[in-house]
Amino acid sequence: MSEEHAVPAARLRTRGLHLAYGDASIIEDMNLCFPDAQVTAIVGPNGCGKSTLLAGLARLHAPRGGAVLLDGKDIHRLPTREVARRVALLPQDTQAPEGMTVSELIRFGRQPHQGWLRQWSDEDRDIVAHALAVADLQQLAQRSLDSMSGGQRQRAWIAMAIAQQTPLLLLDEPTSALDLGHQLEVFELIRRQAHTGTTVIMVVHDLASACRFADNLVAMHAGRVIAQGPPDRIITPELIRELYGVECTLLADPVTGTPILAGVRRA
Amino acid sequence: MHGVDHALAFNRVPVSAPMAPDGTWLLRLPGKRSVLIDRRATLASLLLIGLLVITSILSLCLGTVTLSPGEALAGVFGEGPAMANFMVSQLRLPRLVAGLLAGAAFAMGGCLMQSLARNRLATPGIIGIDNGATAFAVASVVGMTVSLAPPAMALIGGATATALTFGLAGGAGTRGYRFIVIGIGVGAVFGSLTQLMLARVAIDVANAAFPWTVGTLNARPAGAVTTLAIGLLIGVPAGMGLVRSLAVLRFADPVAISLGLKVGRIRFLALFLAVGLTALAVTVAGPVGLVGLMGPEIARQLSGRGVPLFGSALAGALLMILSDLVGRMLMPPLEVPVGIIVAVIGGPYLLWILLRSERMTP
Repeated sequence: MSEEHAVPAARLRTRGLHLAYGDASIIEDMNLCFPDAQVTAIVGPNGCGKSTLLAGLARLHAPRGGAVLLDGKDIHRLPTREVARRVALLPQDTQAPEGMTVSELIRFGRQPHQGWLRQWSDEDRDIVAHALAVADLQQLAQRSLDSMSGGQRQRAWIAMAIAQQTPLLLLDEPTSALDLGHQLEVFELIRRQAHTGTTVIMVVHDLASACRFADNLVAMHAGRVIAQGPPDRIITPELIRELYGVECTLLADPVTGTPILAGVRRA
Repeated sequence: MHGVDHALAFNRVPVSAPMAPDGTWLLRLPGKRSVLIDRRATLASLLLIGLLVITSILSLCLGTVTLSPGEALAGVFGEGPAMANFMVSQLRLPRLVAGLLAGAAFAMGGCLMQSLARNRLATPGIIGIDNGATAFAVASVVGMTVSLAPPAMALIGGATATALTFGLAGGAGTRGYRFIVIGIGVGAVFGSLTQLMLARVAIDVANAAFPWTVGTLNARPAGAVTTLAIGLLIGVPAGMGLVRSLAVLRFADPVAISLGLKVGRIRFLALFLAVGLTALAVTVAGPVGLVGLMGPEIARQLSGRGVPLFGSALAGALLMILSDLVGRMLMPPLEVPVGIIVAVIGGPYLLWILLRSERMTP
């Protein structure tokens, strides 16, 4: 981070953020910024506080001290509807009400833009249709979520977040329960969304996927950020030892050029 | 502002989608205003209103003296024969109105409770509200030292049970099983207190308190119906105002919050309404809390999706007056209290729901 000269444009930052559950302090004095229009992946071992950080960024968890700043203002002091028009979240455990269809789910993404006397506009219709198309779900629009595969369901939830039309999108382990093909579908959908200028911040369990699909990594260990930057610049065997306590050899993926870990063994 | 920049960057995909979402009518109002009306829920409400009208007329006509619909309606306006006028305006109509209002209030309270707890079995009764209300009302009848009129005591009892359930559930809020299990415990404590009080007083006094323990429309305390009507005049619009938020509350909290819902505030308002409506309904009809389970369930089956608060009120009212009618007609001149009829239908219905559904979310 020290080699960065200019502060990058970032609508979402943390300032001295302190997050805790009861007596247990998870994150202390964290100062981070998430560059606009980039995909940032938060990585680290289990229990390093990455999901807690995401919950803090999504205002699900009130900080003990410091603040999450959205466009320079404390996110907990902004009206929650106002925040919902700027930040969308896909939590890890999602469950839709029984029998809800894909298009019904996506319509809920319009909620922050609607009101009692503004329940459905041409814009709402266009945006829902757009979200269905982007997530490649047009054929499944009337299907019940209960009847779909995990990958399709996850795309439907991302489509709902897209329909929210927010400049920032937070995702908590969006591919954790998916097989390889469906993981790829979801990551490609996320990349497409980033390409339209959306800032994406996601917690990713798998380091190789994070390296391949993120522009910017935030590596966390025991509640602290120990490295931040583009994956090919910050990923080193030393960092991986510090993060996960394992030794490995780094190779460049012969196809994508992104770092992959080889010969992983216990330190 | 920021949102606008982003909207400009967004490329519209050409669409040929129909204007209104499936299964809805779009009502366009002046000034870019618009309202969506769910077709199936609207048809379900119309059906329930039709059944309510028919059952209402039947319950005005039927009884120890059978009146024709013409006589009954004339009686409502005081234009029939003196006998019919008396029967309708003094006996059957007040009872019908009490049944309609109490049924609607119980079922709305149930629907609100189920929405905020995300559990189809979470009636105000299950978390002890109506047992608390009953225990306090009985305490008032049997002459415990502190005593207001039974309806006022019922309201205080309902509020006490809720406060206890909340207090004991601690940080769990209104979610999950802890809340419900503690509510069942609180309800059981108040239920046994009621039994204890009845067991320790003279038989005549216990008889006077009996209507409060089974639920009947035959012993409406003066003024309670008016109070309930006022409660519904406030509660129905307030509840309808919450429907859109309650629909979002069907998702888990993180999703609801990120969609801009003030989750804590909505839960508090819904709970406040549920407790108020249920306690007021207990003051009129006694503990017929099962209506709070069955009314919303009937409305849900008919309406298909969403939070059928209005449909629940209609279904609850229907259930109440139909059960009262059956109770009056079953073995005249004896009356079976409405609470017993509802329990006889409700018990098996509850089992049926439990056996049929895998998921318990509303």
